[in-house]
Amino acid sequence: MAKSARSTASEGKRNLVTIKGIRNGLVFALAEDAPFTDVLTELEDKLLGSHQHLLSGSTLSAYIEKGKRQLSEDEEKALRRIFASQGELIVSGLDGPPPLKDWRPKDPYVHKGTLRSGQLIEHDGDVVVIGDVNPGAHIIASGDVFVMGRLRGSAHAGAGGDVLSVVAATYFEPLQVRIAGVVRRSPETYTRAAEMEFAYLEGNQMAVEKMSVLAQHRMRTRSSHAVI
Amino acid sequence: MGDAIVVTSGKGGVGKTTSSANIGTALALLGKKVCLVDTDIGLRNLDVVMGLENRIIFDIVDVATGSCRLEQALIKDKRFDHLVLLPAAQTKDKLALSVDAMQTIIRNLKAQFDYIVIDCPAGIEHGFRVAITGADQAVVVTTPEQAAVRDADRVIGLLEGVKLPPAKLVINRIRPHMVKNGDMLDIDDIVGILSLDLLGIVPDDEHVIRAANQGEPTVLRPDSRASLAYRNIARRILGDSVPLMNLEDDAGFFKRMKKLIGLR
Ligand SMILES: Nc1ncnc2c1ncn2[C@@H]1O[C@H](COP(=O)(O)OP(=O)(O)O)[C@@H](O)[C@H]1O
Ligand SMILES: [Mg+2]
Repeated sequence: MAKSARSTASEGKRNLVTIKGIRNGLVFALAEDAPFTDVLTELEDKLLGSHQHLLSGSTLSAYIEKGKRQLSEDEEKALRRIFASQGELIVSGLDGPPPLKDWRPKDPYVHKGTLRSGQLIEHDGDVVVIGDVNPGAHIIASGDVFVMGRLRGSAHAGAGGDVLSVVAATYFEPLQVRIAGVVRRSPETYTRAAEMEFAYLEGNQMAVEKMSVLAQHRMRTRSSHAVI
Repeated sequence: MGDAIVVTSGKGGVGKTTSSANIGTALALLGKKVCLVDTDIGLRNLDVVMGLENRIIFDIVDVATGSCRLEQALIKDKRFDHLVLLPAAQTKDKLALSVDAMQTIIRNLKAQFDYIVIDCPAGIEHGFRVAITGADQAVVVTTPEQAAVRDADRVIGLLEGVKLPPAKLVINRIRPHMVKNGDMLDIDDIVGILSLDLLGIVPDDEHVIRAANQGEPTVLRPDSRASLAYRNIARRILGDSVPLMNLEDDAGFFKRMKKLIGLR
């Protein structure tokens, strides 16, 4: 397709493809009343160009919200081809995101005591450690990781791909933190352990913030149909 | 009924054998009946440190496999009548010493001695599991190095899994000037990570190496700092409350170090 055609499409000013972050992936809402070729062009534009920062380096579920539009077999193929071309988004539904009731919270796993080198907690849900997590210890949670003590080992939150998960600790000096598919190593030395902090994902970057703003982060992400 | 104490560390070369020999000898100095047990099959050296190598006829694997009676394998120390060594085997297969056989041996020794001090091999495999079986308490030895502390932590986790009372910590080979310069982990850091009671700290001391080569445990020398440290450790095992030694004469570099020692 010629360059000029693209720019005409986006000059329409109206968003034909709106991308929303949800708990376990991204929702792509396609305008119902625009020509399908224009929608595809804009989708391709966003995925391969302007909105690449949404992709975190790990696979994410993509939910298509096509509204009242009926897709012909060829149209659906074209749509899927665009997603397949960037390799990180897996089309998981053509009728919008899964209903909220499927996301009812799972039981957290609570460990009391020191988690020592060589010990591993792996849990589908949140993990809470009341005690220290020593270097060489490892936590893998599909949800959040909270350490009420020193986090000096490795923690992986959102191990199933939940990019909204966080890793929080009273004393935050982990060897390695992972959230969904994003990994961050420790700095070579901590001059002083950060107190009461949590790590979260901002796009494909990991960020660390004071625990006092965790609630705000939660609000932002749990209401979570905010347009990115 | 005696008390069996296993001396372990995970990492090799941190001072398990040195600590076993010196703690055992110090307990004997204090009048206790003591048996040292070397479980480091294939790499035995407790006999060398004790200067008893040339007296070995039978060893712990012979006892385990029924080739001799327990009493035949026990070697009397040169210096104390009430101190004996059960040596490791040097050439036999280490799997020949099973957990069951070890339990029987320790049970029999506990009937005859006040303290059984078990020198554990490095690692966390079969030899480790054999050494800790039958023990009533554990002493974990580490040095002020990241790798040693990491391995100690691993071992403490494994010990917690076998329902022993919380292990006691010995930090060996401390060099005060290196700690002061920040080149070594400091004692607070180590105790903070491992969160165990501290049984004692032992300075790096060339007397230890000299003594080991002479087959005479350091603790028998009155003039070495390591000797004093091991005597203090033995007294704490008996339940005395002995303050931590000050390794530096001037500024109390251990003055922050108050976390002492709950012993039975
Ligand atoms: N406090 C100390 N000061 C100086 N040298 C020591 C000290 N403790 C141990 N060593 C030396 O370190 C080496 C390893 O000690 P060893 O007791 O054999 O360790 P392990 O049994 O844990 O492998 C030996 O050469 C020993 O003499
Ligand atoms: Mg040894």
